[in-house]
Amino acid sequence: MELVVRKNDLLRELQLFQGIVERKNTIPILANVLMEAKGDEVRFLATDLEVGLRSQCAAAVAKGGALTLPAKKFYEIVKSLPETDIRIAEDKGGVKVAADRFDSRMQTLPREDFPTLPEHAGTSGAPRATLPRAAVKEMVAKTAFAITGEDTRYFLNGALFVLRPDEMSLVATDGHRLALVTVARGGGAAERGGGEDEVKAILPKKTLGELSRLLQEGDADIQYERGENHLFFDVGGRLLISRMIDGQFPAYERVIPKGNDKKIEFERDRLTSAVKRVALLSNERSRAVKFQIENGRVDVTSSSPDLGEAKETLPIEFTGSPMQICFNAQYVLDFLSAVSTDVVSLELKDEVSQAVMKPVGAEGYDYTYVIMPMRV
Amino acid sequence: MDAFYASVEQRDTPSLRGQPVAVGGQPDKRGVVAAASYEARAFGVHSAMSMVKAVRLCPSLVIVPPDFSRYKAASNAVFSIFREVTPLVEPLSLDEAYLDVTENLWGETLGTAVAKRLKARIRAETQLTASAGVAPNKFLAKIASGWKKPDGLTVISPERVEPFLQQLPVDALWGVGPVTAKKLRARGIDRLVDVRSADVETLRDTVGSLADWLRQLANGVDDRPVVPNREVKSSGSENTYPADLTDLDTIRAEIAEMAAHAISWLARKELLARTVTIKVRYSDFTTITRSHSAAPSRDETDLTARAVRLLEKTDAGRRPVRLLGVSVHNFCSAADDDRLPFGERNAE
Repeated sequence: MELVVRKNDLLRELQLFQGIVERKNTIPILANVLMEAKGDEVRFLATDLEVGLRSQCAAAVAKGGALTLPAKKFYEIVKSLPETDIRIAEDKGGVKVAADRFDSRMQTLPREDFPTLPEHAGTSGAPRATLPRAAVKEMVAKTAFAITGEDTRYFLNGALFVLRPDEMSLVATDGHRLALVTVARGGGAAERGGGEDEVKAILPKKTLGELSRLLQEGDADIQYERGENHLFFDVGGRLLISRMIDGQFPAYERVIPKGNDKKIEFERDRLTSAVKRVALLSNERSRAVKFQIENGRVDVTSSSPDLGEAKETLPIEFTGSPMQICFNAQYVLDFLSAVSTDVVSLELKDEVSQAVMKPVGAEGYDYTYVIMPMRV
Repeated sequence: MDAFYASVEQRDTPSLRGQPVAVGGQPDKRGVVAAASYEARAFGVHSAMSMVKAVRLCPSLVIVPPDFSRYKAASNAVFSIFREVTPLVEPLSLDEAYLDVTENLWGETLGTAVAKRLKARIRAETQLTASAGVAPNKFLAKIASGWKKPDGLTVISPERVEPFLQQLPVDALWGVGPVTAKKLRARGIDRLVDVRSADVETLRDTVGSLADWLRQLANGVDDRPVVPNREVKSSGSENTYPADLTDLDTIRAEIAEMAAHAISWLARKELLARTVTIKVRYSDFTTITRSHSAAPSRDETDLTARAVRLLEKTDAGRRPVRLLGVSVHNFCSAADDDRLPFGERNAE
């Protein structure tokens, strides 16, 4: 293999692979990126066996071929080079990367050892759809934080994606709180349901992170396809390949309360500041903050046997019998930083039932955040 | 630590040095020996013995009422020395702990060297002596620490494990008390190594679920890691009364007070308890416990009422009561409790 590629073209692709490659280094080749030069482009592939990414950039290929090299070091070298042409050439079991007066040689690992990944669903009847880019970005940002990432119940280590003909939803929970975003969508001509009304899949947390990274630049919509074990997201020619989490996602509809008749609206900024300040003296383990609600006001309070106690009063519109309810401050703050509306609502039934938080006046999406109160 | 409470007393009160000392309650108040000095042990006095018996064995015994604040302070000093060596310190009590010194902050390569330095540091800082056992695993280290006392240091290097095991009686093990030992001996299992050749079924019939664990230990195998900050499983208190209690209202009040004590502990630890247990020992020493489980709580009215109600399942008031106790178990934290009700399938 021998080729010349522009530094910025190469760097732009390589940085997308930095989150993909395996960091634990249990299987050495998973820390490598596979490079294949052919025609007038060079293609890249990396995976940690959970998530994979396929991309490419233009290159002047003098001699085709394929090799694998350490993704992180390769990226660091390319990043450190001036904006110029980079010469890459296979060299007796290694690879030379050179530019200007800089010369380097890196170890490669055999191309044959690199795992093969499916790059499409394989069957012609597999469900597929075009997903609007902005909506997906919104959905991921508002749910991904609620995934635990280390729960023994592996189906909670991902978010459930539900695709219906006229809308789509993404829902995530760690068993204590739940975030659900639903966005309307119009089905396109190339759409296929694969014979299902609802096309469901559990996406690993890492997939969501990499997907939102791919969505940071450009304006292309997403071509989505669900295979038997893998999911495929084509974002402007880059293909994210994700393993699908096998398992039964909890019946999330069941924990979304319907009869929460007490509704309080807050200015988002004021509530955020109050909870942040009061939480400084919350118990370090439970992070509990209490909302003491009465006519016209809420006292947000905390206390910790080792530290002391704190209180901040917020004026609200509320009439009804006084009540108090306790939440993990972090769960409340996670929601408040995920939404962007000026006003948010808190809907309650009683002290022990699930509370619901929503952005007030949000356009284009429906966001429901359910928190289980703490008994203290 | 060697004869810990008694040693602290002898350290702090010079006139007690060289005397047979027992820390505990007075014999006429039905006191029990909490710790005995080595001088007292020579007379056969040991902890958990009734003070009446201790005085009978050793008429010159000096009885000192316990002062836990000083023991706690001495314990804190010793544990901070432990933590200078490694964060992997697993406390067993105020005066005993496992330390994993495989890697240690002192940079010592030999466990023996760590033990020597620890003993010297403890003596210099607290004027108390400690006995140490150095071994490849927890069960051997525990036995080794008790092998030579006071001021002992017993090392079981890997190549000495087998000869050491050969000489252990079966009741050298933690968890094998007199009753189990007797049962094992009746089946010809006298030494720990006899467990190796014992028939599995016989062993299981004799000691039940302990069988597999015993077989591992008999082969010197113990993979349990040293776990710092082991979670507390229960908390409570009990009280032996100077005179038997017969009045039910007094008994109720005592239970309520001990329950309140357990609840304030829960509040400090930010824990909730599912189960409350009471213990009643009648004047004839028969002892019973009664438990009640419900939704996690640390509500004072609720838990106290449950504890007091448990008295109805005892003969307290009809039979004289010598000892009462209240404890709480099955903890969960407030944070563990705020689970969304997904239903049975995902409740776990």
